[in-house]
Amino acid sequence: MKRLWAWGALTIGLLYFFLPLIGMTNFSLKMRRGEYSFDAYVKVLADTRFQDTFTYSVTLALCTILVGVFLVVPTAYWVRLKLPFLRPYIEFVTLLPLVIPAIVVVFGYIRLYNTSSWLPLTGTALGTDILLVAGYTMLALPYMYRAVDTGLRTIDVTTLTEAAQSLGAGWITIIARIILPNVLVAVLSGAFLTFAIVIGEFTMAALLNRPAFGPYMQVLGANRAYEPAALAVIAFAITWGCLGLIQLVSRFQKSAQRPV
Amino acid sequence: MSFLTLTHLQKSFGPTKVVHDFNMAIDKGEFVSFLGPSGCGKTTVLRMIAGFETPTGGEITINGKDQTSLKPNQRNIGMVFQAYALFPNMNVFDNVAFGLKVAGKPKSEIEARVKEMLKLIHLEHLADRYPYQMSGGQQQRVALARALAPAPQVLLLDEPLSALDAKIRVSLREEIRQIQRQLGITTVFVTHDQEEALSISDRIVVMNGGKADQIGTPAEIYNRPTTRFVANFVGTLNVIEAKVVDPAASTVEVGGKLLGVYGSLAGREKGSTIPLAFRPEAGSLLPGVSDTSALNGTVISSHFLGSVVRTKVDIGGSMISYDTFNDPSAAAPVAGQQVSLALTPESLMVLAD
Ligand SMILES: Nc1ncnc2c1ncn2[C@@H]1O[C@H](COP(=O)(O)OP(=O)(O)O)[C@@H](O)[C@H]1O
Ligand SMILES: [Mg+2]
Repeated sequence: MKRLWAWGALTIGLLYFFLPLIGMTNFSLKMRRGEYSFDAYVKVLADTRFQDTFTYSVTLALCTILVGVFLVVPTAYWVRLKLPFLRPYIEFVTLLPLVIPAIVVVFGYIRLYNTSSWLPLTGTALGTDILLVAGYTMLALPYMYRAVDTGLRTIDVTTLTEAAQSLGAGWITIIARIILPNVLVAVLSGAFLTFAIVIGEFTMAALLNRPAFGPYMQVLGANRAYEPAALAVIAFAITWGCLGLIQLVSRFQKSAQRPV
Repeated sequence: MSFLTLTHLQKSFGPTKVVHDFNMAIDKGEFVSFLGPSGCGKTTVLRMIAGFETPTGGEITINGKDQTSLKPNQRNIGMVFQAYALFPNMNVFDNVAFGLKVAGKPKSEIEARVKEMLKLIHLEHLADRYPYQMSGGQQQRVALARALAPAPQVLLLDEPLSALDAKIRVSLREEIRQIQRQLGITTVFVTHDQEEALSISDRIVVMNGGKADQIGTPAEIYNRPTTRFVANFVGTLNVIEAKVVDPAASTVEVGGKLLGVYGSLAGREKGSTIPLAFRPEAGSLLPGVSDTSALNGTVISSHFLGSVVRTKVDIGGSMISYDTFNDPSAAAPVAGQQVSLALTPESLMVLAD
């Protein structure tokens, strides 16, 4: 009896999750009247705006990942090494982006960095891009920090640092040659999550008026019938691809893990 | 002129004083062990030499140069940790090469030096292995090679054998000592295992509560301990009460027998009671009651320990242990048997408290 309930609940859950997806995919294939085709996909992929916005978002995602890694790895490392009593507070700070809506952050940015401010970042495209990357970095912070911190827990940070120091290494060498390679898998999973977040982000890009993939999806969705469905399926595939890659690298890590 | 000197070294963590006025001069090429119970400050002194802790007071010099203001990565000191601490992302070759790469040595030189080091520890065939693919003993040998590769001025080892099992522990300590002799490297070895310290050191520093209780060769430490703590910590010790008879002639009385003791009784009052200590292997145990200066007693029990037989004897109310080598042709003492223990003055130690 209990089993039956469990299976029932699972079925309902799966239907709830997959039915819209199936419906959407089905719809996206029906552009040509009376038969299935990839017309909608071809159209979307051939659209230069798709190519431009997608390239733009991918570039920004890569920048965000780089900034995130440079910010988070040394910070998490330093906190573990020298300021362990600060860990709960740092963790709290990294969780803030989950409770502060992106729209609040963007309005804060626009107020602080508008053209008549002391640092008029919104005045130029490059400045706005920098602002956007900063915002994305913040959005990805909870995931990146957690991933890296968990990765650091698997190595003896203090002793490895001291071993490297006694061999003459300075901080940059230690972080680049010892710490980063040992948390690389954690960094990669943080990076894929960051990528997925940035590709789908709408609020920040729209309010800062940058040609990103999120706003493009929205515009397309408001004006077309079949293409948005195709686009949604593509976006889903990208996100799932990222999640799959996370699984893949963590499996790789497990097989390379020391059997201590 | 000593190579490594520690002068009035002190360390406090907040209000707790962990190292009090530690003084030590170590010669070039010498192998010195810090021996003491857990928590007595051995690691802290070692970490101050390495630069991982800043002394609260005092001075550390190597080859005449003050080290106090140097960072750990500027000191050129090799360090081996209890937990091996090999870099998990690098194979054996890269681990050993790390210090040389950091120093910017040319590739050919690095390759030659790493090969030389791996040969020294007999692991040339494992150059491509990763740390998780090796046993603890192998990992610790790689850690040793890694520490030695950049030709450090001083080698520090913090309980490097504690995580290994008994057999490997013995063979690796001999290997460490042999490599140390071969390279002539000044070495400080921290351990809480007295046998380990006695077997491999040129000199031993017995530490107690953050200071050096006694510094000496293994034989001095074992045979001539100056404090009760050292005597107790290094080896097994019997203590009996004795009455001072003549301080000038170094004679005491135990159970009506007159005994000469090693060392001075100066400052002890005639007729006062002092603790007298000796090792279980000192003297000889004879059957029967003696009317010479040998002490009379009764066998309480006898334990067969393999190469050694340990006999517990009651001498005037004090329980003492007596060790002899196992002799298949001799009968073991039995409980209740009357015996006498003859002790030479050299084996009787007067301990300061
Ligand atoms: N970083 C530290 N902060 C506070 N107390 C410490 C620290 N390191 C060591 N101690 C204390 O100093 C004492 C000596 O420690 P240690 O040098 O590690 O002893 P040993 O190596 O002889 O076992 C211990 O009581 C320990 O608790
Ligand atoms: Mg210790």
